[in-house]
Amino acid sequence: MNNNNLLPASWSRQLSTRDDVTVLAERTRTNSIETGVEGGDKDDVVDPTIAAFRQRYNIFEKRIAMMFDTRRPCCAPPDMEFAALELNDDFSSANVDASGNSAADNARPPARKLDDDDDYDFDDDEDEEDTKPKAHPPLPFKPASSLSQSSEPSSGNIIDAKKSAVATREKLEADRKAAEEAVKRALPSMFFTLENDRDAMLEQQKLEESDRQVNAETNAAQGNALGKLSSANLGASSLTLKHLIARIDAKREKVEVSDMELRNLMSEVRKNRSKWANEDKIGQEDLYEAAEKVVLELRALTEHSTAFLNKVNKREAPDYLTIIKHPMDLGTVMKKLKGHQYKSKKDFVEDLNLIWQNCLTYNAEPSHYLRKHAKAMQKATQKFIPLIPDIVIRDRAEVELEEAGALEVDAEGESDDEPIMSSRGRKAPGTKKTRKGARLEGTPEVKAPVVNLLRADSNPPGNDSQVSVGINGFPTPSGSTPIPNGLAHSISQMDIDHDRVDDDTHDVEYQTWKTLTKKARAKVASERHKLFRDNHLNPEEPALLRSRDDMGRFLRNEEKHARSAQDADDNSMEQGSSNTKLVDTEQTDVEELLPDYYDPLAAVPELPSGVSWYGEGDEVDLQDDDLRLAPRGIFTQPKSELSRRMDANIKQMQETRKLCSKIGVIKQMQVQTQMYSNQFTKYDPKEFIEADVEDFVVSEGGPIMCATVARAALQKSVGKIFYHAGFEEFQPTAIDAVTDIAVDYFQKLSKTLMVYQEAPQHQRKFEPEEMLLHALYENGADVESLDTYIKDDIERLGSKLNGIHQRMKTHLTELLRPALQDVGGDGSRMFNDGSEQFVGGDFAEDIGDDFFGFKELGLDKEFGLSSLSVPLHLLQGRMHSTYQTQNTSAVALADGYKPPPPFEPVTHELLEREILLVKSFFLERLHASNGEPLVEDEDLPVKQRLPKPRLPPSGKILAPRKRPMHGQGGNSKKKKKPNPPAPPPPKAAPLPSKGVAMDRSLSKISEADGDGNGGMMSPESLVGGGG
Amino acid sequence: MSNDKFKYRVEIQQMMFVSGETGEPSAETTGIIEEIVRGQVIEMLQQCTNLASRRGSRSISTDDLIFLIRHDKAKVSRLRTYLSWKDVRKTAKDNDPSGGAGAPDPADILDDAAAGIAGGAGPVQMRQKKAKIGLPWEVASFFSEQVPEREEDEDEDEVEANAATLQRLKNADERTRGMTRDEYVHWSECRQASFTFRKGKRFREWAGFGTVTDAKPNDDIVDILGFLTFEIVQTLTEEALKVKELEDQVLLESREKSKKRKREKFLFHAEEGRTPIEPRHVEEAFRRLQVPKPKSRAMRNFSGGVVKSKLTLV
Repeated sequence: MNNNNLLPASWSRQLSTRDDVTVLAERTRTNSIETGVEGGDKDDVVDPTIAAFRQRYNIFEKRIAMMFDTRRPCCAPPDMEFAALELNDDFSSANVDASGNSAADNARPPARKLDDDDDYDFDDDEDEEDTKPKAHPPLPFKPASSLSQSSEPSSGNIIDAKKSAVATREKLEADRKAAEEAVKRALPSMFFTLENDRDAMLEQQKLEESDRQVNAETNAAQGNALGKLSSANLGASSLTLKHLIARIDAKREKVEVSDMELRNLMSEVRKNRSKWANEDKIGQEDLYEAAEKVVLELRALTEHSTAFLNKVNKREAPDYLTIIKHPMDLGTVMKKLKGHQYKSKKDFVEDLNLIWQNCLTYNAEPSHYLRKHAKAMQKATQKFIPLIPDIVIRDRAEVELEEAGALEVDAEGESDDEPIMSSRGRKAPGTKKTRKGARLEGTPEVKAPVVNLLRADSNPPGNDSQVSVGINGFPTPSGSTPIPNGLAHSISQMDIDHDRVDDDTHDVEYQTWKTLTKKARAKVASERHKLFRDNHLNPEEPALLRSRDDMGRFLRNEEKHARSAQDADDNSMEQGSSNTKLVDTEQTDVEELLPDYYDPLAAVPELPSGVSWYGEGDEVDLQDDDLRLAPRGIFTQPKSELSRRMDANIKQMQETRKLCSKIGVIKQMQVQTQMYSNQFTKYDPKEFIEADVEDFVVSEGGPIMCATVARAALQKSVGKIFYHAGFEEFQPTAIDAVTDIAVDYFQKLSKTLMVYQEAPQHQRKFEPEEMLLHALYENGADVESLDTYIKDDIERLGSKLNGIHQRMKTHLTELLRPALQDVGGDGSRMFNDGSEQFVGGDFAEDIGDDFFGFKELGLDKEFGLSSLSVPLHLLQGRMHSTYQTQNTSAVALADGYKPPPPFEPVTHELLEREILLVKSFFLERLHASNGEPLVEDEDLPVKQRLPKPRLPPSGKILAPRKRPMHGQGGNSKKKKKPNPPAPPPPKAAPLPSKGVAMDRSLSKISEADGDGNGGMMSPESLVGGGG
Repeated sequence: MSNDKFKYRVEIQQMMFVSGETGEPSAETTGIIEEIVRGQVIEMLQQCTNLASRRGSRSISTDDLIFLIRHDKAKVSRLRTYLSWKDVRKTAKDNDPSGGAGAPDPADILDDAAAGIAGGAGPVQMRQKKAKIGLPWEVASFFSEQVPEREEDEDEDEVEANAATLQRLKNADERTRGMTRDEYVHWSECRQASFTFRKGKRFREWAGFGTVTDAKPNDDIVDILGFLTFEIVQTLTEEALKVKELEDQVLLESREKSKKRKREKFLFHAEEGRTPIEPRHVEEAFRRLQVPKPKSRAMRNFSGGVVKSKLTLV
């Protein structure tokens, strides 16, 4: 950036020698490689190390910017900064190369040193370089014309010189502005710390205090004179006004305006005149204008000026007055200014320098902190002094007298400086100016050579104009008043290193920023300070409130970013505009350079994309893109070969169990004499379908965490594994316990994995796969055992189950169709191809009889039964008995007995004749059957019929008759007593098992009946309801 | 060594011989092995009793015993083969009292079993009678109906177990190949060594049946224990032999090194013959077999505390 920071000490010498011989200037400059740090030389210098450092600096700068990642493209690039810098450079190069130099100097005012004065020297010289050939060379030949007031060339020269001087000043101003602009522009890309705020606040407070003090004192001093002065001031402005004022004064009583208003009016009219203007004192306006400005500027350098604002307190430094004979401070200077006590620039400058000098004298110790400040102020002073016109104030009368004499040589004349502000008032006092110009003419011819010579000889490090002042005022430099510059210079050289260290820490932009925002920062800091009392929050303070305006400002700033990023992202632009809509109310637009983070209250959090403000209602648009349905299958078993195999195994088991239940039925039938279609619960397992959770909505990425749902899912899996391991049913507590253990185990497993994974970098010796293996091993599992599990407990189990299933199947077919050749004996042999033929006409099918519910069990399809009739071997016993009964009936017929007429069904009419005892019973029955006639026992379907009592061979009935299964109407078993519950025909659809009182012991196979087994649960229910 | 303390010195020696130990182990070695075996037996009985009481039964069953070694599928398979052949023997003996020379001899049973496996074609009669020992945790128990037997199928588990058995038989074959007749007789005598065969009473006393478990165990359990004790001794011996081999190797290497330095050889410098297993080898072998598996403490991870290690069944 700017390598001026590294000014070598030899600089001044070099410069002066160069000035000495103007012709050699170019050469000297090119020669001065080691010093070549100045403006135009900058580019010529190719010190490799410096270049390298500069490059590195740039790189680091970029790095820093990259460190603070921002989504706003406008803030991201460090090019911003460079652009600003380049602009600065352009600026300087567009002007005289020296101005670039001065711009750089201006940009870091506090960083300047006394040595840098030479810059100024140089500046001016450089400035005049183009004018010098005209201005200086002719000097020796001027004397003749110097006497003539209107000598064309010289006046032209001087006007030129003046112009250039004005230009210089303007450039200075412009440079400063440019620097400020640059800082403003660079502001968003810079980060500032708050560490200086407190200092800023304290300094600001002191400054204000001093202001008050000065004002109070001057007011007290001039309290009475004020009215007069003001009127005098008013009157003194110009001749025209003078007349006007005179007129007004004359007619004062007629004018119905107050004095104040009048004064304001006047000042309006003569806007370009300052308060210092005084017709009677020539030069006062210019001088005081500039001087005041300088004092204000100096005071504004609060970083250094704080100590010098007010008089030194006796309490702080009791011996101060013994050492310092003439105490001075900025406040006093201001007071003196207001009291018009300065007669010339010299007086003023002396006072200023006296302040710093006092400080340096009093604080003689080189390391004293105030010295640093004093020196900084000194430097600043040196910088500002050229801006003060070198004017000695004189009374108009006196001047007029001189003019009459016209020969007096005036010190002012030499100055090529013009007061900064004088340009404003230049036009009005036209006469004065020409006079002045005429006065000025004489000086260069006489004095300038002397100055040059002097400089050439003694190499005074001081300011050009400064020296000339000294020479002007006191021909001998070693006059009664020492030239402060020289002294200061020596001092500054003495501890030059000390200062340099301080200097290097400064950053031009930072400095500029600091000065620019000092007031604002001080304000913020003091406000912040107010909130505290004794390092504690003060509860008495009013609450901090967000203000709409502040938030608006914040949003506008944001929008600025958004706008600059517009081309990159149209979206943000929209957002920005909507933001303005929101807060674009009347605004007191205070352009502050403070970064947004100085006002955290105003910060408005960035709205996430997808949410936006509606214009007026402050509503949030809830149509969030992020909101979406969670993908399905998070809580179900993922599709994999393993799960596929397990499912296949489970299915196989279910199939085999079905077979088992059939076998069980058949075996039971073989044992039992009577069968009920509802005796056997069908075993019809449902297929396992893992229920997923219902659809739900998520708004973020990452895993979906829900302990309860995850646990339920795990429980589902545990249940499945249970089933896979052969358990059809299990206690809920069992599954809970196993789930708990599984949770614990998996947590430990992942914890172990985490331990491996989160090991510090240098201790990490394992690849991810190795980590996994280690974690597994630590928890008692390894790939081998897992492999064995899959091989043995899943694959092999599958094949085993298959084998068992096959065996069961053959077993069942064997049961259904006994090997016919084995049966023999009872003539069934002749039916070679099975029992179907024997059953003959297939009547069972005709009447739709499904004796054993084969159809329901699905056996017919499975074994391709063409008929639903009872298999032969099962029928054997029963057929025999039916055959016998048929035989007996036939025998009876043969005997000639007629069978008794069938009993009449019992009806109400029939009951009329019965005895009371029976009547009531039958009435009850009838009532139960809704008045239908009661059916005889013998007419009942076979299955509901009670077994016929058989008479044992002994001929005695030993035991009382067994009660019928149904337990109803058993005692009504008399002749003519039909079985009361006119039951539905048994061959109708079997009733659900629950209602029928059934002997539990008979239903061994009803295991699948979930309702029956209290407390037990089956995986079906679990899986079904798992979600 | 007092005789009353160690009762199975001869048997253990024989078993070790069968398992590959050629030398004559000292009484101390066999004593240590006997102690280990006894500890194992007691442990097994204790665990069995616990299992039985959990079932609600006071007496232990064979299933309890087999359950303890269920993870060693090869062993279970061998045991089942042993038991089924034992059944066959018994029935055969019952059927044909004159044919059986005596009570079934466990080693013979083993051999027969091996023959059955290797030859495949035993006498038809025997094969028919060979009953399969069903275990409650087998797949067949998944179903309510008894799965009908099928003759031809051979379980994959058995195939695997048989592989191990065959390997052992093959090793034995190798060892016996070069034996003289007397040696072979000695060998076959040694193969019949058992803790329990015809020493039922001694075994019960030795294993502390009265104190460890309440009930009087049936013969099957004693037979199973006899089988398992043989397995234990075999495993221990094999492991100890491995340890010794390692040790010998190290010794040999170090001796060679020192030999190079010495370079001295006596005229009748005889190479040392093979030394028998010493107690330290057995101890090391036992230690190796007892190293706790990470599985046993997996659930104690991250929870601190002392992990108690139980005696691992060999």
